[in-house]
Amino acid sequence: MVTAELRKLLGLPTAWVGLVLGLIAAPLLVFVNAPALRRMADSGQLPDPADVGYENLGIGLLGALILGVVVVSSEYTSTGDDSPGAHQMTSTLLAMPGRKRLLAAKGSALALVVGVQGAVTAVTTIVLTRSLMPFAPSFDPVRVAAAVLYWILLALLAYAITFIFRNGIVTLTLFIVNSSVVSVSYLLTKLTPLAAYLPDIVGAHMFLRSHPADETIPPVTAGVVMTLWVGALLAVAAFLFRRRPA
Amino acid sequence: MDPWFDDSSARLRLTRRMISIDGVTRPGILHGVSFEARPGRVTGFLGPNGAGKTSTVRILLGLDRPSSGTALINNLPYASLPRPLTVVGALLDGSGAHRARSARAHLRWMAASNGLSRSRVDEVLSIVGLSEDAGKRAGRFSLGMGRRLGLAAALLGDPPVLVLDEPINGLDPAGIRWMRTFLRQCATEGRTVLLSSHLMTELASTADDVVVIDRGRVITRGTVAEVTAGHDSLEEAFLALTATPTPW
Repeated sequence: MVTAELRKLLGLPTAWVGLVLGLIAAPLLVFVNAPALRRMADSGQLPDPADVGYENLGIGLLGALILGVVVVSSEYTSTGDDSPGAHQMTSTLLAMPGRKRLLAAKGSALALVVGVQGAVTAVTTIVLTRSLMPFAPSFDPVRVAAAVLYWILLALLAYAITFIFRNGIVTLTLFIVNSSVVSVSYLLTKLTPLAAYLPDIVGAHMFLRSHPADETIPPVTAGVVMTLWVGALLAVAAFLFRRRPA
Repeated sequence: MDPWFDDSSARLRLTRRMISIDGVTRPGILHGVSFEARPGRVTGFLGPNGAGKTSTVRILLGLDRPSSGTALINNLPYASLPRPLTVVGALLDGSGAHRARSARAHLRWMAASNGLSRSRVDEVLSIVGLSEDAGKRAGRFSLGMGRRLGLAAALLGDPPVLVLDEPINGLDPAGIRWMRTFLRQCATEGRTVLLSSHLMTELASTADDVVVIDRGRVITRGTVAEVTAGHDSLEEAFLALTATPTPW
């Protein structure tokens, strides 16, 4: 079942957009940021170089997010104008009618693809940063592993939310608006420090060391909180998926 | 020579399977629907649009849930069938494939999900006459080609039970004739064929047994001869039984 789901995911052109975007965005950003960061370091204006390189990984998350959305939204896309109500999920459930197992197989395939994508991107980005900027932190396997885990968890979060809404636009709007236009989560942290435990903020604490939200959460705690978010949303998705008609 | 019909009796090793639907109810849609479809026969599931044919078929295939009643294939609900594609082949609305995926890629993931060989994908593409278009994206298929792709998916596991919802929708006259011959051949081989349709003339020439449904209730069932008895044709019998108002 996981093989079938991998085949399905990697057979979609939009999945490759996510895959390639996730792979190249962060390393490219290293080149873009390098001259300014070097100037700041030379003039002593860079107070804390702890996250140089690692902070670039954030942009690559967009790729993981797209993969998490596409793996579900492709199931609910109309198969053609002749039959607007028909979608691939019917074929999927005819082939794999056990809904809990299907959810697990899809999630595993996604985690595998995003895990490989995250690992390649993180290693490339950190090694590249270090070679261009010697003041950047050295390669730390634990931090890189935490970053990769964050990628996987965020992809699974997008996966669960898209399953709940059965529509990728809702998930993408939610994440993109929140991360680029106005971060509701960040604004909430101004009202209550508890908002730092919202999934899109807490996850970054897994591998970043300087935090805009002023709240320092230990990496392991951040990982546990993030996993709980993902687990809870997956449970809701599974509950709804089992009860809804296909 | 059609590869589907070659040495099939030896190749298939058919296990006889039966569809049994008992008291299936969904509020406002189905009211205690019960009937059987037996091996070696084409059972026509006949009813006007909106009568509950598709709802019944979707419940049988585990896609929807009944509020009460059971829909079983060889005494098992669809969701309990291990490698279901090797037991039941189903054709529903549309091609079933994501529009950006090629016909071959679609069938390959389906084959992988049920442990079927890749060579079987090429076989079924050849059976439905899509070999030359196998690399084409499903979104570019005509309605008829989409139906053929759906049928190819249904045949992947060489199943002894076929459940087809309005299979001739979108087929050209040659396709309709091919489908009729094909379904008759399937029954001759001992397969169980459930064929839902609102086209009476088509069913009269294909089905052995008929189940007539109207407004969510089975109003009659029997062999084509039994249901037609006392009327000039199956169409006349159907119109008399369902008392379908003629809008013109």
